[in-house]
Amino acid sequence: MGIHKEISRRDFVISTAVVGGGLAITATWSGAFAASGSTTPWATPTPANVGEFTPWLTIAPDDTVTVRVNSPDLGNGIVTQFAMTMTEELECDWDKVRVEYASATRDYLEGGVYSKGGGLSYFSGRSTSPGKMEIMLQVGASARERLKAAAAEQWGGVPVSEIEAKKSVLTHKPSGRTLRYGEVAVKAAAIKLETEPKPKPQSEWTFLGKASPAKLQISMITNGSLVYGIDVREPDMLYAAILQSPVHGGKLKSYDFDKIKGLPGVRGVAVVDPSEPRKMADDKVKSPFPLGLSAPQSAIAVIADHYWQAKVALDALPVEWDDGPGAQWKTTEQLNKAAYDAIQKPGSKVELTRGNTLEIIDKQAKVVEGTYLTPFNDHVTMEPLNGTARVTADRVDVWHPSQHSQQGFYIAAEETGLPLEKVFFHQTWVGTGFGRRVYGDDVRMVVAVAKKFPGRPVQVIWSREESIRQGRFRALMATKLKAGLDKDGMPVAFTSYSAGAKGFSVRGIPDGAYGVSIIPNVHITSEVLNTHFLTGPYRGPGYNSSAFFMETFTDEMALAAGIDPLEYRLRLYAKWPDAGWTKCLKEVAAKANWGKSLPKGRGQGIAISNWGMGGKPEAGTTVACVAEVEVSKKGDLKIVALDVSFDTGRIVNEDAIRAQVEGGAIFGVNMTLNEGLHIKDGRIVEGNYDQYPMVRMADIPKTIGVHFGGLSGHDRMGEIGEPPVGPIGPAIGNAIFRATGKRLRTTPFREHDLSWA
Amino acid sequence: MATALKVNGKQYTVDADPSTPMLWILRDNLNMTGTKFGCGIAQCGACTVHMNGEAVRSCQLPLEAAANAEITTIEGLTSDNKHPLQQLWAEMNVPQCGYCQAGMLMAAAALLKDKPNPTDEDIDNYVTNICRCGTYPRVRAAIHRAATMLKS
Repeated sequence: MGIHKEISRRDFVISTAVVGGGLAITATWSGAFAASGSTTPWATPTPANVGEFTPWLTIAPDDTVTVRVNSPDLGNGIVTQFAMTMTEELECDWDKVRVEYASATRDYLEGGVYSKGGGLSYFSGRSTSPGKMEIMLQVGASARERLKAAAAEQWGGVPVSEIEAKKSVLTHKPSGRTLRYGEVAVKAAAIKLETEPKPKPQSEWTFLGKASPAKLQISMITNGSLVYGIDVREPDMLYAAILQSPVHGGKLKSYDFDKIKGLPGVRGVAVVDPSEPRKMADDKVKSPFPLGLSAPQSAIAVIADHYWQAKVALDALPVEWDDGPGAQWKTTEQLNKAAYDAIQKPGSKVELTRGNTLEIIDKQAKVVEGTYLTPFNDHVTMEPLNGTARVTADRVDVWHPSQHSQQGFYIAAEETGLPLEKVFFHQTWVGTGFGRRVYGDDVRMVVAVAKKFPGRPVQVIWSREESIRQGRFRALMATKLKAGLDKDGMPVAFTSYSAGAKGFSVRGIPDGAYGVSIIPNVHITSEVLNTHFLTGPYRGPGYNSSAFFMETFTDEMALAAGIDPLEYRLRLYAKWPDAGWTKCLKEVAAKANWGKSLPKGRGQGIAISNWGMGGKPEAGTTVACVAEVEVSKKGDLKIVALDVSFDTGRIVNEDAIRAQVEGGAIFGVNMTLNEGLHIKDGRIVEGNYDQYPMVRMADIPKTIGVHFGGLSGHDRMGEIGEPPVGPIGPAIGNAIFRATGKRLRTTPFREHDLSWA
Repeated sequence: MATALKVNGKQYTVDADPSTPMLWILRDNLNMTGTKFGCGIAQCGACTVHMNGEAVRSCQLPLEAAANAEITTIEGLTSDNKHPLQQLWAEMNVPQCGYCQAGMLMAAAALLKDKPNPTDEDIDNYVTNICRCGTYPRVRAAIHRAATMLKS
């Protein structure tokens, strides 16, 4: 058994790797096993009577196809998409397909069977990246041919070419004899083909791009049986309620356990000390993200027989903290001022410079300028942060709703110091992520608490308040934008000076279309503020702010130029070598009846942005939005309609795309209208939905218009989870301007007075 | 202290502090994890169950107040997962992550019992649950279709 053994990409795709790999084969397949294996999605060893074609695919005697997936499904339909891709080539019965999460331990023991190879760099990310699709298609095609070969042998050596594979049945066409996949799966899995089949070209797909199946796990959602992290129930499990330093980076000074030790169910406290030595047993492994991003925070947890007992006791526990340097940020205003002050001049880091921007910008026919700010936001994952771990002297098991199970696996290894083959990370279903569960600080804290209570599983649950205040926030960011417009009103010079809390990103500005080529002269800089707040990726990192800045500013340029905002964008993007942009603009404008006459207090706004382009045309996903709003004289805002068009190139599951665009648009509404954290003495003020509101059914239009006419047909399948959040906010803001004359340059909009006379 | 409970038609005796929220009694004592913890302050509705047929937020329902009542959870909404809402949820691909959906379903089921022909405004008023994924348009559409199904 070769640990870290590099295997060739081809072997990796098609062969059965080292069988077992230290995971003992114990079970026998039964129907009941199939059902339980789906409510609890973590990997189980392949039973002896099940055919394992590769680590990605098994087929059971009852024809159940198990596709092992390495990206957690956060509600975005990823596992369904993986399974669909496999089904396209495997020609199996869709009703027989289930999914399971790939084991990070097995990946480690078997030379990266789930993480090496094209596009599979890690246990996260989207299902339609070319590398991930290629693997599923190749594995499916190979297994189909091996099933045919096994049937040919069973039928006394008939030519394989006479066998058809369809809906999990193999048919010998001349004789009409049939075999089910499950009847020959074990035999087929042992066959090695002389030449591997080539997956069919996209143009011949019959399932992908044609069918739109609903998510595989829905029936287990509707009866409440799906096991999220918080639903894990292990024998002898204890519960913990956790409190981390309210000022990020602060230290626990004192606590008085005597005050709570007599409370019902209380077993003790676990103190997490960040200064304790931690060491990975195998220092050669490289984690997907630096392990420092999951650094432990000073914390105390109360452990009890039941969660409510732990929570009541924690609330009653006297605790004192040493706040540390973070307490210097006394108020939100102080931090905002620091950001605004920093953008009055070019920042110390030049992100992009081209032409002689600074000399010519003020000499243009018109100069437009605007200052914008977006605050700290929390992901507010619907399932509060939690996890369960059992640490013993020679093994750790973690059951966790992670967004990156391989990262979690490495963190559990480092936190316990155990050899990696003794680390078992069981990926559960996940109640939303939006980036919050990628870095794995939640995994770290769970294991850090559980290791103080060795031998028993401990489920650690963050209260909603703890979940929000101990977020890894979308970083606060301010930007000063300025453009010099020529006599036709089009920008010839552009500057962007950004500043933000540690962890902020200007993604979308230097690598957006204006930065890359549309505006000839640009100077784009950034400056990082010395803040202590912990930050992390939040649905479309950087982009979710920059799209708001750039597209609000574009409207201001259009206004200065005296040109309709749609027409202005069409002129700008006429110069951009990616026809999808104008296609999206025209599509959404037509569907939303852009330019229709509306009374005062009503208005339409438009915006367009792209996530994932990375500085290139015909890349990533472009999304355009037209919002229509109604603002009462008193200033109450109602979103009347949202229409969205997009260009991912191509799509493979229309309804899955529609659902993501709807959800992304609603996320964008909430992000823009409602979200913003405030600071007091280094702490986060907001703790729960009463202070950090979420849109509800009544707050959004009855339907979100999702329009497919923007698709360019370009040969890519861009992602759809993150892109829709970008243009929604600026489209709403631009609509508010047209309704009221009020220009909103900061979010959340609910903090602005929108009244008009 | 032992408290007698009736959940999904079955009798249970629970030994817990009478002030413990039913949410945690269901999840930790009775092992019915379909009812979800979302906020603990009756804001999000992920913990919605029925008490004597009415939708209530179980995070604010003390054990002692639930004694002698008929409590129904998502596990007991139907025995076969075939409530029109459950069927349409699957057919119309309503849930995304699914975490809030047990609460959504329980709120929607209570609405349809009270108002077999709900208007959009009824839906807004009864189903005030929070969904971070943004499934609202599908939840609304599925409730309207379920109302039609229940009539026929």
